[in-house]
Amino acid sequence: MANSKKPGGLREMLESMYSVIALLFILVACVELCDAAAAVDVYRLIQYDMSGSPFGSRFAALNHHAASLHFPPGVDLSRTVLIIPLRELNITFVREYINQKNPLGGLLVLLPEVLSFKTGGNKQVHEKEKMKNLLAELERLLVHSNIPYPVYFAFENDEIDTVLADIKKNDLMGQPATATTGGYKFVIPTAEPKKVASPTMTNIQGWLSGLKTDGDANQLPTIAIVASYDTFGAAPALSVGSDSNGSGIVALLEIARLFSLLYSNPKTRGRYNLLFGLTSGGPYNYNGTQKWLRSFDQRLRESIDYAICLNSIGSWDNELWIHVSKPPENAYIKQIFEGLSNVAEELDLKVGLKHKKINISNPRVAWEHEQFSRLRVTAATLSELSVTPELLESTGGLFDTRQYVNETAIVRGVKLVAESLARHIYGHQGKNIQIFADESSLAVNPAYIRSWLDVLSQTPRVAPFLSKDDPFVMALKKELAGHVDEVNVQHETLEGIFTFYDSTSARLNIYQVASVTFDLLLLLVLGSYLIVLFSFLVITTRGLDDLISLFRRPPSRKLKTA
Amino acid sequence: MEKFVGYTFQELLKALIGFIDVAGLYLALTQLTHRNISQNHKFQAVGLGWALADSVLHRLAPLWVGARGLEFTWDYILQGLEANANLVLSISLAALGSLIWLRKNKPKTLIPIIYACAGIVATMPSITSYLRRGLGWHFPKVVGFELFTSLVMAFISWQLFSACQRPYV
Repeated sequence: MANSKKPGGLREMLESMYSVIALLFILVACVELCDAAAAVDVYRLIQYDMSGSPFGSRFAALNHHAASLHFPPGVDLSRTVLIIPLRELNITFVREYINQKNPLGGLLVLLPEVLSFKTGGNKQVHEKEKMKNLLAELERLLVHSNIPYPVYFAFENDEIDTVLADIKKNDLMGQPATATTGGYKFVIPTAEPKKVASPTMTNIQGWLSGLKTDGDANQLPTIAIVASYDTFGAAPALSVGSDSNGSGIVALLEIARLFSLLYSNPKTRGRYNLLFGLTSGGPYNYNGTQKWLRSFDQRLRESIDYAICLNSIGSWDNELWIHVSKPPENAYIKQIFEGLSNVAEELDLKVGLKHKKINISNPRVAWEHEQFSRLRVTAATLSELSVTPELLESTGGLFDTRQYVNETAIVRGVKLVAESLARHIYGHQGKNIQIFADESSLAVNPAYIRSWLDVLSQTPRVAPFLSKDDPFVMALKKELAGHVDEVNVQHETLEGIFTFYDSTSARLNIYQVASVTFDLLLLLVLGSYLIVLFSFLVITTRGLDDLISLFRRPPSRKLKTA
Repeated sequence: MEKFVGYTFQELLKALIGFIDVAGLYLALTQLTHRNISQNHKFQAVGLGWALADSVLHRLAPLWVGARGLEFTWDYILQGLEANANLVLSISLAALGSLIWLRKNKPKTLIPIIYACAGIVATMPSITSYLRRGLGWHFPKVVGFELFTSLVMAFISWQLFSACQRPYV
């Protein structure tokens, strides 16, 4: 009785244990699955069409062997990925290679880790100017070329440094990696890049109403302060644009904050409306600003006294420039310039005036104020740049990271603009009254500027890749709404001559592959091991004759039948 | 603290698997008596079958998924060698098991040795995982140790088996 019960119970327990065992084995299998080769985050070069002509890197998927710059001369690189760290980059070599349209499997540029906004942090950059110039040149070359193979950027870290050292060692020994000699294989498994369907530009505007007394029949005059917030660069996933135009955004937010403090009290509210504009589409001839202005009511547009556009005010020492398109003799321009120069003198810095005429037939819009001037609104751009930037230049590229911005410069810029605005609004021109004095309740807040600059330096903001309800745009809107009376958001489509393609970042898998000869050798070794084991077992259990008889069976049968 | 708890849970699971091995072998040796096989062949058949099932369940899935990747690792070759050692260990465990449960007349002096060897072989999974985790041995070293112990254990159980075969008074 007891005997028959026991095995039955044991059987049931065993059956329930099978599921546990199966689960455990699956777990063990899963653990083995995740154990892959090295994997690195990589960021693709931008791919875009301008007026139908293709630019940038036209491919995204990658599956080739890797080689360094020390490849033996004369070897075919059409199925190889060149991995080049920035410090060894020879720009003339790259330029010639691209211009001669030499075939290449792919290009991976390794940027120094200090430039990464995820891991680099605020460490100091060595040889700032040299790196900035090299990166600017590289960016200019890559953005304006049509490259028929994938180009990626990655940040150096320990893993990839060891891989690179290994590759260099192999190359110097004269064995570039191919299918038969083994080496490293770079694989990026992404789909083909597709066009971005309807890229949106989002303009955010904030309105601070001035004090309207009963006697005012007409609308109050308005002063506009505008900054464009989107960027463009060689690697759109890395275009954080700390200076162009992160500094402008931060300055605009701080000015909005200061004036909201002044305007919150009816006794200190000025007789001017303030219009703050955070526009998109900056790199594309200020397309967003144009659409924003076109959407204005005629009366509103006519009520704008003047507009100040902020563009790159983050890394200057002592001199700022005011760019205008109306001639300097114009009364309004004189007024703006004098207002700013007076304050500048007190703050111990210089402002210069630069005049650039607009050509209505030329679609190129180099400065934001030109969009205002085309609609007959007086405007000027305050910038540290003295030379007019070319198309897709100074729009926040690879080198425009947090380390290249100086927050003291932004603080001084904010003081300059805010003071001159306040003097114009309250009629204190020429008088030496400091409204936004340090140590007062209206002092410029460097901590506010620093925290927003840090946030901006970690957010890539290329307009076609920002969706309609992108969290960063919503955050900007919310921040502006905290300072002004009314906030409006305008969504426009980025039409015109630009078309963009997606797939801006991916994960690179680095595999160390063995050559075919190694595989064959291993097969041979294992085969012989199994044969030896089998023969050994047969000999020890059945005797040598049985082993030999395995190969002689047919003749013995014939003998038997005969 | 959490790592320690996880560690002991996994160890418990492994010890459980070892116990299940013994229980399964016991079942197979004692309950499946539908054929008239001599004791010699019975333990060989059971041991072989058990080792085959163990290898397939434990190693087939990782091999199928992992060995087809681009990168070459020595892991799968070592796993194969480990499977060889596992086979020998399973057969010796089956042999010792058949001695314990099927042969009722054993020389008294050998009984504790038989039980001790069976205990060692049954707890092999725990021992190897302790070596890997506790002492931090690398996989090749662990596989070498397993191969060595399997040969030693096989030799010992062979001697014990032939000792119990000898007709004695």
